[in-house]
Amino acid sequence: MKLFLKIFILAFALLSFTSANAVTIKWLHLNAENSPNMPGILKAVAEYEAKTGNTVELQYLENESFKAKLPTMLQSNDRPDIFYSWSGGVMYDQARAGFLRDVSGVVSDDYLSTLSAAAANAFTFEGQRVGIPTHVAQVAWWYNKDLVNQAGVDVSKIIYWEDLLEAVKQIKSAGITPICLGGKDKWPVHFIWTHLHIRNGGQDLFLESLNNGGWGRPEYVKSGEQMLELVALEPFQKGYLAATWPDQAGMFGDGKCAMALMGNWMYGSQAANSASGEGLGDDNMGMFNMPATKGGLGDPGDTLGGINGWLFSSSAPDEAVELIMHYVSKETQSVDAANGAYIPVVKGADTSIKNPFLKQVAGNIANSKYHQIFYDQFLGADIGRVVNDVSTDLAAGIISPEEATAQVQESWEFNQ
Amino acid sequence: MKTNMRTYYMYLFLFLMAATIFIPLYVSVMGGFKTVGELRTNALGLPSNWNFDNYLSILSNNKFWLYLWNSVVYAIGTTFFVLLFASMTAFVFAHVKFAGNRFLYNYFLLGLLFPFATAILPLFLRVRDFGLLGTSWAVILPQIAFGLGFAIILFRGFFKQMPSELFDAAFVDGCTYAQFYFRFTLPLSTPILATVSVITLTGSWNNYLLPLIMINDESLYSWPMGIMVFRGEYFTDWSKVLAYVSLTLVPAVIFFFALQKFIVAGLTGGAVKE
Amino acid sequence: MKSQKFDVILNRYSTLIIFLIPALTVFTLFVVLPIGEAAYYSFYRWNGYGYPEKFVGFKNYAYLFKNRVFIMSLKNNFYIIALSLFVQLPFALLVALMISDKIKGATFFRTIFFLPYILAEIVAGLIWAYIYDGNYGLVAAIWGFFGIDPIFMVGDKDLALIAILIVIFWKYFGIHMMIYIAGLQAISKEVLEAAKVDGAGPFTIAWRIKIPILLPTIRLSVFLSILGSLQLFDIIMPLTGGGPSNVTHSMVTYLYYFGVMRMKFGFGSAVGVIIFLICFTIAIAYQRILMRND
Repeated sequence: MKLFLKIFILAFALLSFTSANAVTIKWLHLNAENSPNMPGILKAVAEYEAKTGNTVELQYLENESFKAKLPTMLQSNDRPDIFYSWSGGVMYDQARAGFLRDVSGVVSDDYLSTLSAAAANAFTFEGQRVGIPTHVAQVAWWYNKDLVNQAGVDVSKIIYWEDLLEAVKQIKSAGITPICLGGKDKWPVHFIWTHLHIRNGGQDLFLESLNNGGWGRPEYVKSGEQMLELVALEPFQKGYLAATWPDQAGMFGDGKCAMALMGNWMYGSQAANSASGEGLGDDNMGMFNMPATKGGLGDPGDTLGGINGWLFSSSAPDEAVELIMHYVSKETQSVDAANGAYIPVVKGADTSIKNPFLKQVAGNIANSKYHQIFYDQFLGADIGRVVNDVSTDLAAGIISPEEATAQVQESWEFNQ
Repeated sequence: MKTNMRTYYMYLFLFLMAATIFIPLYVSVMGGFKTVGELRTNALGLPSNWNFDNYLSILSNNKFWLYLWNSVVYAIGTTFFVLLFASMTAFVFAHVKFAGNRFLYNYFLLGLLFPFATAILPLFLRVRDFGLLGTSWAVILPQIAFGLGFAIILFRGFFKQMPSELFDAAFVDGCTYAQFYFRFTLPLSTPILATVSVITLTGSWNNYLLPLIMINDESLYSWPMGIMVFRGEYFTDWSKVLAYVSLTLVPAVIFFFALQKFIVAGLTGGAVKE
Repeated sequence: MKSQKFDVILNRYSTLIIFLIPALTVFTLFVVLPIGEAAYYSFYRWNGYGYPEKFVGFKNYAYLFKNRVFIMSLKNNFYIIALSLFVQLPFALLVALMISDKIKGATFFRTIFFLPYILAEIVAGLIWAYIYDGNYGLVAAIWGFFGIDPIFMVGDKDLALIAILIVIFWKYFGIHMMIYIAGLQAISKEVLEAAKVDGAGPFTIAWRIKIPILLPTIRLSVFLSILGSLQLFDIIMPLTGGGPSNVTHSMVTYLYYFGVMRMKFGFGSAVGVIIFLICFTIAIAYQRILMRND
């Protein structure tokens, strides 16, 4: 008995010793089981664990729950080492509060040079590198080729905002719902308003407003007026204020409307949410960029979208950074890109994109001089939600363009 | 004949009400058996194909049972302490005369006046500072605290109803308060204990916000947090959600059926006679 | 003699201490102190990280009193109270009167009516969100049956609140019914028998005898109903999220949406304090005016 005990203790001690050197990394993500992002993550984790003997704990939270829990989670001892981020204002708040780790020392220049510079920069704050980007996205007008042809509209002729309005009129008179919109979730609506801001105001004006205020400028009021022109045509589906984003995607995938202004993830979502599960099919879908506005200070090639990635919490070990550097590699990103999971940030991985839409988007972003991150992320939790609210109010026709910008200005002032 | 007509109308009315109340529940349970597509086309009817996949995949998923178990732990933990602490406190309020009796009683009633959502951050910081974050106590202790108010009202009402002769007799025999509490009060309080149990168990079972804030470790998730596992960022699988929701109804309904006699008896026993 | 009296006093005070301490401690630590802290935070601007640093005095409160959405949420809370008091409670009373008489199937009806109450609020919200869905929900199927275009209640500024009120009725009707049933069953049989012997019909008995005896119970139910209405939260979130255009917020959803989710915890605390003060005032008023309750 005593011998057995001794052996047991010895074995236990040995085990503890080996595991004492192994590190456990907690990785919090927002991908549902069937998300196309998961295979890449799982493979990278398996490879990393095998290579280093460290353990990776993957944790999943749903989108809204994640946002709700973030402040408390980052202050608990259970906090994840790695977590998802849309960069922008929310990230800046976290960095300012000291919840992120500066990993500049761990990320080598060699590795950095493999990433697109713009994307990598999005994850810095006041000189500190707090995260690593993973993919980019763009918002554009998705359209249903069949329906658009039925209405006799030629999308290649849509150059200016007025052309878009004309097209909407034409589609409507053909008895087709012009635009699907998820008004209940609000963020799909804010794309319209803010994309017009990008066209009307351009990058310099945005930075000026961000730093010094003045959101009530005429360029931005004009966006509201233009949006109201659209709303006046009654282009949205019945009950659009009660529709959620999955509703919107499903509707588009079911062929119930001609167009939707949405990020490139619409490609997968419209199929997943459709009644048949198949969606519209590649042949029947198209994408065109937000048209220019006459007299706008922005460039028609400017894009609205996201730069998403992974942040490191203040207590993250070096191993966590190494794990991400392993995951965000040309190898993994090429495979994911080929599967149409997302648009990669690692240089050269974009050549693997087979999906024509993602290719188009990748090209747009690469050529864009001004890629604005979604306002509702970039401006932070408070101002961002105000933007969502006023956009939806505009779409519902209950506030004026001046009131909309005034509310944003008020929120901005409150947060100084 | 008049009475018959009246009875007939009464039953008609009751049945219509019951149907209206019941339909949403029926639709959810049936919904779990349908595909997402069918949910849209055939909302009211019986499923054309009884698709057991959703229910089966949930039942066979270990996580489901883990979440249920956690909810059970939280519920029982909370209820046990609420029963103990609240009954002790109410006992004192009902039987012991002392200065500040009324004041302290009202103090506890404060708990009813406070929406939990306000307390999220202060509560979180308190739990964190006590080093309890990430343990079951992070959920159980606040739930006990917020549940005390109502429980004390119910217990006190019930205790006051108890015949005072019993008390006087025991006292003459040299019985201490504590002895009386254990030997007489508790055994006679079965109805009210059951009532408070049902209310506390249900409250804890259904609590969504508190565990969401306090628990980060997936192995300690309660079942409402499991709902979000079935709702991805870009896709809501309604039939899975409905199946999940229907399954979690089962324990709640069982509690209720087991204890429903006591609920009425407990409420009758004096709580509502305040 | 002396030692006996001493024993009694010792007994009394030691009991007091031992019996009261556990509840007092837990309650103070986890309810009262957080209330105090929330009041403290309400004077700050704080994004939830670290500790509050930016003192702003009464600014949060001043903003609230001018805020259109907050005032609307106050109004909504009072609509909900009105619904409860003037529709839900009378209905619950009516049904309780019908069922408490040990008619056939009383238990069956009781169970059905009570079921919604045991549902988690968030689950009830989800189920009804599905039902109200104008495209794919039950409501759509029903309208479709009649050949009318479905109305999207949840997305309609004017109808959304009504949609919510229906769900609230559905969910809480049962608990009030149960309370009334309990109260009714406690009415002594002799009184009822005597009335019947005197030739009183069921309506008269109900109106002249049962209800008057039931008044304390009714008062309790009203009190709980008002407090509950003021704290409504979980049920609104999945249904409308406070929308469309922020017209269906209750005070607590307002707190959550504009305070917690926007990382403005000082502001959210101010809302919480106001809710608390309103509940507190009502509780005191109730006690003074109606004397007996609590």
